[in-house]
Amino acid sequence: MSMTLPFTPARKEQDALEEITRLGRDIADSLDTETLRENANLNGDSFSGKMSKFGSEYAKWYARRHVLPKEVEAAIQGNTVYVHDLDHYAVGTTNCIFIPFDKLLAEGFSTGNGDLRTPRTIMTAMALVAIIFQCQQNAQYGGVSANKIDHDLAPYVGRSFLKHFRKGLYYFERFADELTGTEHADVELADEEIHMDNADLQKRYPHAYRYAYQETRQETLQASESLIHNLNTMSSRGGGQIPFTSINYGTCTSSEGRLVMESLMDATMRGLGKGQTPIFPIQIFKCKKGINQQPGEPNYDLFIKAIECSTKRLYPNFANLDAPINMEYYVPGNPDTEFATMGCRTRVIADRFGRNHLSGKGNLSFNTINLVKLGIEHGVALGQRKWADEEGFYQMLDEALDTALAGLLHRYQIQAKQPAKASDFMMREGVWEGGDALGPDDRVEDLLKHGSLSIGFIGIAESMKALYGKHHAEDEDVYHKALAVVRHMRNYCDAMSEKHNLNITLFATPAEGLSGKFTKNDAREYGSIPGVTDREYYTNSFHVPVYYQTTAARKISLEAPFHELCNAGAISYIELDGNVRSNPEAFRKIVAYALEQNVSYFSINHPIDRCTSCGYEGIIGESCPSCGKKETEVHISRLRRVTGYLTGDYQTRFNGAKQAEVRDRVKHAGHTQQPQPH
Amino acid sequence: MNICGYYPESINEGEGLRSSIFLSGCKHYCKGCFSARTWNFDYGEPFDKNRQLEIIAEMAANPLLDGLTLAGGDPFFSAAEAAAFLDLAREKIPELHVWIYTGYTFEQLAAKPDSAEYELLRRGQVLVDGRFVQELRDVSLLYRGSSNQRLIRIPESLERGEVILWERTVGLPV
Repeated sequence: MSMTLPFTPARKEQDALEEITRLGRDIADSLDTETLRENANLNGDSFSGKMSKFGSEYAKWYARRHVLPKEVEAAIQGNTVYVHDLDHYAVGTTNCIFIPFDKLLAEGFSTGNGDLRTPRTIMTAMALVAIIFQCQQNAQYGGVSANKIDHDLAPYVGRSFLKHFRKGLYYFERFADELTGTEHADVELADEEIHMDNADLQKRYPHAYRYAYQETRQETLQASESLIHNLNTMSSRGGGQIPFTSINYGTCTSSEGRLVMESLMDATMRGLGKGQTPIFPIQIFKCKKGINQQPGEPNYDLFIKAIECSTKRLYPNFANLDAPINMEYYVPGNPDTEFATMGCRTRVIADRFGRNHLSGKGNLSFNTINLVKLGIEHGVALGQRKWADEEGFYQMLDEALDTALAGLLHRYQIQAKQPAKASDFMMREGVWEGGDALGPDDRVEDLLKHGSLSIGFIGIAESMKALYGKHHAEDEDVYHKALAVVRHMRNYCDAMSEKHNLNITLFATPAEGLSGKFTKNDAREYGSIPGVTDREYYTNSFHVPVYYQTTAARKISLEAPFHELCNAGAISYIELDGNVRSNPEAFRKIVAYALEQNVSYFSINHPIDRCTSCGYEGIIGESCPSCGKKETEVHISRLRRVTGYLTGDYQTRFNGAKQAEVRDRVKHAGHTQQPQPH
Repeated sequence: MNICGYYPESINEGEGLRSSIFLSGCKHYCKGCFSARTWNFDYGEPFDKNRQLEIIAEMAANPLLDGLTLAGGDPFFSAAEAAAFLDLAREKIPELHVWIYTGYTFEQLAAKPDSAEYELLRRGQVLVDGRFVQELRDVSLLYRGSSNQRLIRIPESLERGEVILWERTVGLPV
């Protein structure tokens, strides 16, 4: 007679089978909406969304059971560390990248099924940008970014101009001369002479120049519109996701580069088909003194346009090239050294192996530490002690840092031993710098070392509340303690970079799927602690809590010093209430203040509601102020931002924790009551 | 004098980031008023000296503020007290830039130079004037509800004896 005892191998197998079966059932029967909505960019209720979930949920299960180091698995179970994108752990996928569009467009590239030549016009160039984004995003799990799209695309505006000018020359100058019988000197112009900024050209061939100029403008605008449409419609990633694309611009001062920016912003303001706000790409305007910050500087008009665009469409965000942390690597004249972001916030510049520029590398992976749990364990929150046990806190923090790092290093070993062919397009085409020199079976290690491994954190606010009874915006001493905690983590990253000879950086985690998971587990363990676990989410990174009432200026100045410490990236937000598109001056002033305070990356959130009946955009309460239709009669689309990405209709696409966070956001300026005086 | 709303930072009642104070009480009784309950002079909280100083201190401490907006109600029904509050505020913030909303027209207020209403008027920089007229309601208008209402530069208009309209800051997107 046999007997199955708990924990015998037979029983373990039985358990495993049950777990896997439950994974499948929850997905197939839509039993777990939180899992299905983990990522606001993925429609988890769709067939392809579910197929993708089947893959990723099993991959996670497999990684935890068979791949992760024991201490990392224990930390996940203990709710102190979170391993992001765990589904990609076992196969060794890397996270995100800045794409060298200049190189790919100049040299042409192969998609695997066909070769593409260098484009001859801006229209084709922008079409290829979308294709490159799409090819690359399949080689990784995170974002794809263009760190200098204005510089990258300017030459193709030039090529369009050249084409149009030659045509103009033929039809308007030579034909006209023939018709009037004017003696005609054959025009021998070298290609290099034909560009928009050549004033001589404009004087000598006014008709051809004007024709070429107008045609080029029109073509660039059309190209921009189709690029933005493309980036919002190619649901090419697993589960029908749109790739996470970002484009950075702002510093190219040539007429061609400026036209790229002007057109991209005009196309963004026009919106998609029915005038909707484009969700992708994330756009980032790179602010640089001397180039676009003061009246009289060559791109100041574009900075003002960026403000206007952002009041209407929530993008662009603003990257601060003048912040000391970013100036350190800035080489004038080399746009590849200009700080740019991976949209959500990821920052990759410095490389201990010398590639101190952006394109051709990215972040490899990151793990996030739950600072709140550490705070609860060693603080006054549970009423077990009168004073915070700081020594105990830091000891536990160091353990968590060690574990987070152990996970990153272990994962790096898996990533490093992958052959070039595993990441396909990324290495073959040299999107990752140097990849094109590798054979299909060569290991990628020597190239991946230029990327970054990052340790992230969440919930400074609740952690401080748990430790000291007040968060960092409520008390100056606590504020300095919060800064010290973050500085400690940064020092740890710097020291470990030396020790392991890798780029290990500190990240202000954008915590989408994570914002509720940590909280739910901690609330289960410790109960509801006011100001700590009593909400459905933890506050993002070092942010002042969204529910805390303070002024815009104070929030900015409190958060600014943290940016300097988070070398893997951070963002600060201000919430505005009201129709900011009619008050861009307020918007500009807040952006300027954030830049002045050395916030590295900044954006302003404001509500964009859209009446689907009449198309009115602005703030809509229970009924549309323009056509008067009630929300019960027509659909009101409400666009909000979550962890850096926009999402339409946050009530259906956000997970529970994020919905709660959006509800709780205190507006730093304004109120929804519209003034209709007296 | 009572106030029925105070927003330390607002983007809705005038250009830039402004502190907005809504003074209770109005006798214009415009049809379709968005906040008819503020007609009552006893509505809201008392705007006593302590509260005034508190708000002034907050304004002085905010480096991003472009100024203050008085709305209501209609501040001109509490003209003397509102003017005194502006004087008090300017002791601490001498360059305080003030917008005032009213249901009166500029011409009505400017007509009586020795009145309390005139004293309040000349303390402001921009006046949003005129009753709210439901038939002329237009949600696309800047900082006002109906198209009869005007944005007026007060000092220039008083000096020239005719209405000079306010225009948004040059160089900014429209």
